[in-house]
Amino acid sequence: MTSDISTAPLAAPKPALPSTRELAMGKRIWLATRSSPWFLLGAGLFGLLLLMALVSVFVFQVDPTKMNFVDKFTPPIFSEGANPAFPLGTDQLGRDMLSRALVGLQITFLIGLAATALSFVIGSAVGLYAGFVGGKIDQLLMRVVDIQMSIPPIILAITILGLARATPALVIAVLVLATWPNYARLTRAGALAERGQEYVRAARVLGASDIRIILLMVAPVALPPMAFAAVFDLARMMIFECVLDFLGIGLQPPTPTLGVIIADGRKYLINAWWIAVLPGVFLMLLLLSLNMMGTALERARNAVFEGAK
Amino acid sequence: MTEKLLSVSELSVANAARPGDAPILDHVSFDVAPGEALAIIGRSGAGKSVLGRSLMGWTEAPLTVTGGSVSLGGEEVLEAAPDALRRIRGTGIGYVGADPTRVFDPTLPVGRQIAEKYRAVRPGVSMKEALERVHELFNLVRIPEARHRMEELPSKYSGGMIQRAAIVDAMIGETKLVIADNVTQPLDVTVAAQIIRLFQDLRERLGTAFIFITSSVPTIKDFADRIVVMDKGRIVESGPTRQLLEAPQTEASGQLIAQSPKIWGTTAPESLSASDELNRPAALSITAVRRTYKVPRKDKLFGSVFVQAVRGADFDVYPGESLAIVGESGCGKSTLMRLLTWLEEPDDGAVHFHGKNVGTFTKKERFDLRAQLQLVLQDPYGSIPAHWTIGRTISESLRLHSDLGGKARRARVEATMAEVGLDPALYDKLPSGLSAGQRQRINVARAIVLEPTVLLLDETFSALDPMEQTPLIELFRTLQRERAITCIFISHDLALVRRVASRVAVMYLGRIVEIGSNENVFGRPLHPYTRALLSAAPTIEASPYDPGECLVDGEPPSPIRLPKGCAFAERCPVSRPECLESDPMLRNTLARGRIACHFPLARGMLESAETKEEISRVG
Repeated sequence: MTSDISTAPLAAPKPALPSTRELAMGKRIWLATRSSPWFLLGAGLFGLLLLMALVSVFVFQVDPTKMNFVDKFTPPIFSEGANPAFPLGTDQLGRDMLSRALVGLQITFLIGLAATALSFVIGSAVGLYAGFVGGKIDQLLMRVVDIQMSIPPIILAITILGLARATPALVIAVLVLATWPNYARLTRAGALAERGQEYVRAARVLGASDIRIILLMVAPVALPPMAFAAVFDLARMMIFECVLDFLGIGLQPPTPTLGVIIADGRKYLINAWWIAVLPGVFLMLLLLSLNMMGTALERARNAVFEGAK
Repeated sequence: MTEKLLSVSELSVANAARPGDAPILDHVSFDVAPGEALAIIGRSGAGKSVLGRSLMGWTEAPLTVTGGSVSLGGEEVLEAAPDALRRIRGTGIGYVGADPTRVFDPTLPVGRQIAEKYRAVRPGVSMKEALERVHELFNLVRIPEARHRMEELPSKYSGGMIQRAAIVDAMIGETKLVIADNVTQPLDVTVAAQIIRLFQDLRERLGTAFIFITSSVPTIKDFADRIVVMDKGRIVESGPTRQLLEAPQTEASGQLIAQSPKIWGTTAPESLSASDELNRPAALSITAVRRTYKVPRKDKLFGSVFVQAVRGADFDVYPGESLAIVGESGCGKSTLMRLLTWLEEPDDGAVHFHGKNVGTFTKKERFDLRAQLQLVLQDPYGSIPAHWTIGRTISESLRLHSDLGGKARRARVEATMAEVGLDPALYDKLPSGLSAGQRQRINVARAIVLEPTVLLLDETFSALDPMEQTPLIELFRTLQRERAITCIFISHDLALVRRVASRVAVMYLGRIVEIGSNENVFGRPLHPYTRALLSAAPTIEASPYDPGECLVDGEPPSPIRLPKGCAFAERCPVSRPECLESDPMLRNTLARGRIACHFPLARGMLESAETKEEISRVG
């Protein structure tokens, strides 16, 4: 393989073939992912839900907390006694279920995305720095990570949210605290592997600073694998947020989060099943879409890495 | 040939996963007589290793045997049942590979593992008897303190020792044939020469036949009876060693032989020692530089040991010359390189760059120094970021050290690419798919785009095969001529050093033991270690230094516990009691070189008559 090139000393190399080999790993994985039907389905579903959550603010001007006792326990459309003004029916206080569910979706999106992004950024920054610099700083940062990981997330949540009134920001903070160590550990491993590479030494000899090497050279190699973890984490964050609300330690009623609505509707499950079930369906679809995308990404990655051998 | 130990006929192996490709082995046939030493040589990728493994019935998917037969003493290997195959591998054919560290289970003592293998192939032998047998063989392969070493874990073994143990492992079942695939490749020259001598000795004593697979012709030239040359999966030529080496019949073998390293047959590049250049002020001056590492003790929870990686290195590099620093692994070359590039600071001593002490530089001055002193690394794959385009990699130097705009920068990078022989059209391409030689050119471009005055080459050529090496060496000659760059080569490859360096410094255990012009160091070595290195160097020509007389035994002492006197005394063939007592200092020789030895090989060459100068050792 090498001989055909090297027999022409100092001459121009043979014309580079525009094959998929030339593309960076990330791009190849992305290409393979994009063509997977499962990914398209998941992305479509996710996009639809996100759109609904965003648009609802402007389109549905119905106040999700407006009570309407005349119309309480209105079933969703296509069932007996439905009211077209409330496509998904109303709850025990006559509040519109559709707008409640959409606002709940919004909050779930906001908290899930923000918490994932923040954990990703904080965890990766700590992990990259610790892994790359090594030595005492690495030891110190990783012990902090260990301590953080040794605290069960639910205990952390009960403690923090029990001491202060739960706001979206506080819930995000709890989720980030519980998750960033995972990212720190994973990225540290990546940075550690890159640190010993010759190209890092070459950059050091050129006089590049640590930060420059980390950001320009190490991060593009060490971070993409984290993105896979992040897709699944997004789903985990959303569930955790709903669980907190459901248990009553997260955001409090009347804020209509999916967890709060489901907890509320539990009491009326026999008479008005839709109050608990419909937000649950939204949540399920959201998680399904995320897992479909995550799985498609993982499969594509496996296929690409297998193929590279 | 009446008697055959191994007979291979029409053996073909193909890659089932790539049906369109040419077969990996294409109708290979040869025989091995009992006690014969056969060498299989060929360029990398010729199918040698696959052949070696196929002989043991060891072809893993997707490789499949598509035809032919291998018979060992009349027994067919390829179609043997698993039971029979196990017996053949245990008692018929032994195999030693290039990476012996992976042969052994890291959690069990070496001797015990080998004894277990012996018991598996010789049922009814007790563990005690088996260990006794291992001990016998350990002595035979000259592992010192065999009884003690047998009980040690593989991690305690050095490269040469574990290779010896792997040989014992291959021969324990009284095998009649041992296949040695590239066994000397990871070893230092002096250790590799010892291993070859060991093979010779084993053959004489036990009458074992050997198949020696290698891409290096010099390794086997004194050892093999017969050579088989492979090229692209086929045997292109075979014949008695001497005859084949002197008059190769085919192009493939001719090329292999022509590209084999030569030391004495080549001429050194123009020596600077006679010219004025040595009288100019040094470009880089290293004085009594030391670097000691504190390493935590592995066997205890607390405490640490001190590894003296560089112990007072002393030399000057003159503008425009090319100095080579040679030595075996662990001699402190890499540490010295890190000190020169200022990735680490010396504990003691000073590095002067054009007369200015680098240790006193401000941060800014050191940063500016980096544009002046650049490094070309060894590994053509790891040294280039895979996710950057080639242009980005090379332009990083300019981004850091100049304020050129995007267009000017690109123009400069493209000009440099053209200068080192890279197609500027590759600017926006990723480096994947480029050959090692092309990648090294990227490395060179990255270093010279800043127009440095001093270039450090850390084993830059060793990862390249000879076909790629030659044009790159030519490139360096041109660059050096045109740009008047001072080059410092760090290398273990003596043949290469002979071709490129004007002066040579020999390093042993963290210290320069001899430095002088290329002609003098290769032609009239004064230090016994230099002579030992030269005698061990694998070259195709007859060495003027008889390995039997000059070759050293054993391995360098550990840099943790250094002897009191000369560090080389224990291995030195000409050492005297004084050598164990006092450490020799570097002294000037008449030929403008320097040497650290109490009893140099030619006494008259020393400038002063003093023979006993002591360096106070820093404890």
